Amino acid sequence: MAEAPASASPPAAAAPGPLLEVEDLSVSFHVEHGRMLRAVDEVSFKVEKGEVLGLVGESGCGKTTVARCIAGQIAPSAGTVSFEGRELGQRRSTEDRRAIQMVFQDPYSSLNPRMSVRHVLSELLVVHKLVPAARVEDRCRELMDLVGLPPDALDGLPGQFSGGQRQRIAIARALAVEPRVIIADEPVSALDVSVQATILRLFEDLGSRLGLTIVFISHNLAVVRHLSRRVAVMYLGRIVEQGDRESVFGDPRHPYTRALLEAAPRLHQTELARPAVKGEPPSPVELPSGCPFHPRCERAEKICAAELPLLLAVGAVGDHLAACHFRAEAAPAARAGSHRGGREDPEKTGEPPLNGAEAR
Amino acid sequence: MTPFLEVEDLAVEIRRHKTAFRAVDGVSFRVERGGALAIVGESGSGKSLTLRAIMGLLPPSGRVVAGRVLLDGVELPAATRGRGRGHRQRERMSIIFQDALSALNPVATVGHQIAEAPRHVLGLSRAGARRRALELLRQVAIPDPQRRYGAYPHELSGGTRQRVMIAIALSSDPSILLCDEPTTALDVTIQTQILALLADLRRERGLSVVFVTHDLGVVGQVAEQLGVMYTGRLVETGPAADVLAAPRHPYTAGLLAAALDVDTPEHQPVAIPGSLPDPLRLPSGCTFHPRCSFATAECVTTEVHLEPVGPGRQSACLHSAALAAVQAGLGRG
Repeated sequence: MAEAPASASPPAAAAPGPLLEVEDLSVSFHVEHGRMLRAVDEVSFKVEKGEVLGLVGESGCGKTTVARCIAGQIAPSAGTVSFEGRELGQRRSTEDRRAIQMVFQDPYSSLNPRMSVRHVLSELLVVHKLVPAARVEDRCRELMDLVGLPPDALDGLPGQFSGGQRQRIAIARALAVEPRVIIADEPVSALDVSVQATILRLFEDLGSRLGLTIVFISHNLAVVRHLSRRVAVMYLGRIVEQGDRESVFGDPRHPYTRALLEAAPRLHQTELARPAVKGEPPSPVELPSGCPFHPRCERAEKICAAELPLLLAVGAVGDHLAACHFRAEAAPAARAGSHRGGREDPEKTGEPPLNGAEAR
Repeated sequence: MTPFLEVEDLAVEIRRHKTAFRAVDGVSFRVERGGALAIVGESGSGKSLTLRAIMGLLPPSGRVVAGRVLLDGVELPAATRGRGRGHRQRERMSIIFQDALSALNPVATVGHQIAEAPRHVLGLSRAGARRRALELLRQVAIPDPQRRYGAYPHELSGGTRQRVMIAIALSSDPSILLCDEPTTALDVTIQTQILALLADLRRERGLSVVFVTHDLGVVGQVAEQLGVMYTGRLVETGPAADVLAAPRHPYTAGLLAAALDVDTPEHQPVAIPGSLPDPLRLPSGCTFHPRCSFATAECVTTEVHLEPVGPGRQSACLHSAALAAVQAGLGRG
């Protein structure tokens, strides 16, 4: 695949429309007592070709359900998923299924423990008739090279590899069918810090070298901010803020985004982060009236309990959207200053980047 | 000030099939009364085993083969059960775990579980123990304690379960709280709430804390002192802010370089080369040498130990001065 998509997609080519588009996607599940759980509620976003979209949110916000809808693993209750301008139904052609591949958090449970890596990959190559029989072994080796594993890794069973290596194998398996879009669901969350970096680098490489489009799902803001060009923040099934990463992280307009940013662990923070949201998320079967975030929100007023804010543009121009009645207000400066001051100073004064590795 | 918890040269051996290896080796540290120490390491570094060895809760495959643990000057026995002075002493310690759901008893109400220690350890009456459990539920900021008293663990959210576990840990009125990744499974907004709760409890009760985590980003928020573990050994110790600002061990520096911070998205994380060694075949000399860019022939042959490298700081690296020089150079550049 190293050659195929590269020739098909020069990174700078002006695409006629988004490669992937999700429109008004809703997913409901039946739960006990005949009640409905709205896991995903009217979610819409577009992903341009070659772009990395970061989907951020905490557990239960519906980010994985969105991913599984895009991959065709579950049927939405309403709304559509379009690929290259075509709506993808539930019964997808082999080609459409190949085009969108998923990578999961836990590569151990998503790989068959009894199948060697060669077996996993060659089976895919043969079943999908991707290369002539004589080329299968070569292609397997190419895939190993693409994900940075030595060719002899092909003989191993998943259990013989470390977590980072297993994630590379899972990525190789996704790449084997020459996808156009990779949906990565928390792919580095189970990995140790020291290997996390190599997997993130691999995703960056795949984006730039193969022109792959990536939807990167994570609860980790630092990872998403590093990797994504555009970001969507989800809370209780809805997108609450969306835009390019500088606007969303640099000038967050939804109080939930601000809360996430304040709560994110920071390497050089010595003061306790102030808990920026009250309580815990409500049960998704009994959503609060109005804005679903209002019971936990510091900024909430009467209108928030009464009226559901729509995801609307923050300013006159640009595609920075927020679903907050007070989206026109920038972050309260006084508050932001009082507990950010301590940790922003070191960066602004240009302290040493604190890493021996870069100096090596 | 005399140390409150003192761990001296602790070693834990794990038997696996017919082999055995030292998963914790020569670990020594001190925690002052009311002080907090964070122990950071990646999976398999021995940080959780260290905590469990202190608590006397090693898995059946593990045993303490060397060293001793003193609490308030009294040596704790290696085994968990018994009646001696050391055993009474251990009742002054409590431990909380990452996974509250599997640490809690699924068939007992949370109130019952919280009341157990007040009733049997502190010897309170049934009604007294109940009052105390309700009081503890209030202290860990669980809303509507009367109703929650009768709830079962599976009926609660992850954050509330973690609060229940903290309430159970506090129920025996401990002087020291051992925390094994208590916020790792929680969402960040809930994590800040739990960390704030732990900080409040520390202040109000003068609790000492040992906090084990893999997340460098929470260290500064929970502890003044930091220890970094690699392959069962402490490789660096010192005041948390100083260690994070200018590490004196290449492994600590590597962890920091590999980590991402939400405030510096342009920082390109750099992985530590290689992977964790097989605990059955640890490298000779400094166990980090095969992955270290500062390594020399000496590192392969010389056993390294924590040595003083600055005020209150120790590093088990022969080249900590070279590392410091490189960082100073970076600072000027």
